[in-house]
Amino acid sequence: MLGVALRLVRRRAVAEEVVHDAFLQVWRRAASFDPARGAARPWLYAILRNRALTILRGEGRMELVEDFEPMGLVSEEEAPDAAVERLSDGGRLRRCLEGLEPQRRNVVVLAYIQGLSHGELAGRLGVPLGTVKSWIRRSLSALRECMA
Amino acid sequence: MTPEERDRLAAEHVLGLVDAREAAEAEQLEVTDPAFAAAVAAWRARFSEFDATTPAEPVPDGLWRRIERGIVAADPAPIRPQPRPAGLWQSLAFWRTTGLAGALATLVLAIAAGLLWQQRATTPVFVAILVTDANRPAAVVNAFADGRAELVPLDAIAVPPDRALEIWTLWDRARGPVSVGLIDAARSVQLRVEDLPRTRPDQLFEITLEPRGGSPIGRPTGPILMKGNAQRAL
Repeated sequence: MLGVALRLVRRRAVAEEVVHDAFLQVWRRAASFDPARGAARPWLYAILRNRALTILRGEGRMELVEDFEPMGLVSEEEAPDAAVERLSDGGRLRRCLEGLEPQRRNVVVLAYIQGLSHGELAGRLGVPLGTVKSWIRRSLSALRECMA
Repeated sequence: MTPEERDRLAAEHVLGLVDAREAAEAEQLEVTDPAFAAAVAAWRARFSEFDATTPAEPVPDGLWRRIERGIVAADPAPIRPQPRPAGLWQSLAFWRTTGLAGALATLVLAIAAGLLWQQRATTPVFVAILVTDANRPAAVVNAFADGRAELVPLDAIAVPPDRALEIWTLWDRARGPVSVGLIDAARSVQLRVEDLPRTRPDQLFEITLEPRGGSPIGRPTGPILMKGNAQRAL
């Protein structure tokens, strides 16, 4: 779980904070976990992810932008291709992602593994915001059909 | 909302791409609309393979202690039942559900802790491949996040009867090699690294041939059979 937090916030101290907060949230919200709605692991990762994104999008944002030097960044950012290669060879997620055009695949993968927003994705890929939004939507709908 | 719109919102909610208004809507729907909640769960499950395959990071003990303290301080009873009529206190069914919810809370927390521990215990953080002079991989050292390290031989090694294999690591050049294990034949063994600082990148591991009881001077005396440096495992 610390690895996932670090992948998203890329600072060790912040990542530890995320894991800490997520655990306390799990403790408080465990009663609301409904096994009928899905497995425990994705649910736990979702709590961790929400906490990390809140920090990325919220109070932490200013600090992250100001702190432009790579100094505080302990975790190297992972390329979307490398993240896809980690997935199991015969798995559906990998097969379906690989069925998408590279740029359309990358927006979705980056949004998930690094928690980038629409605006950040547009900046990163050098395309207009509207293009990113439509790529995401089409990729998600293609993924849904492929994975159904 | 059409099924397509609902699924789109669920997927973007899982990715974290919705604005504040849509996020509030999605959170509301997760509670009130079972079909939406199912769509969210499906997207989470689909993408969670990225999380499950993200390389593990060692969890420092300090963080564990902080989490434990936080849980103890947070609330001794994490289940907060809705306010109910007084008659309920006598209702067996109510206590049954509460008890079950409590058991479930414990179970979920155990799974969460398990996720952390499992990564600590089973995925090496550092791996050193020990190779012979002939550049043949002959053993692997796995160092785990909880501080344990093990040696796993890949090749049989001929050891004369009055000799033993001694495993060394060079953590600090000033201090020199430290013995972390002694075996009479090539077999898997836990290394004695408890008193050493955590394994770090490029840390050298080597195996030398020594007298049966180990090197008499605490330093390698025999030939180096194999050696290798620790590398961070992906």
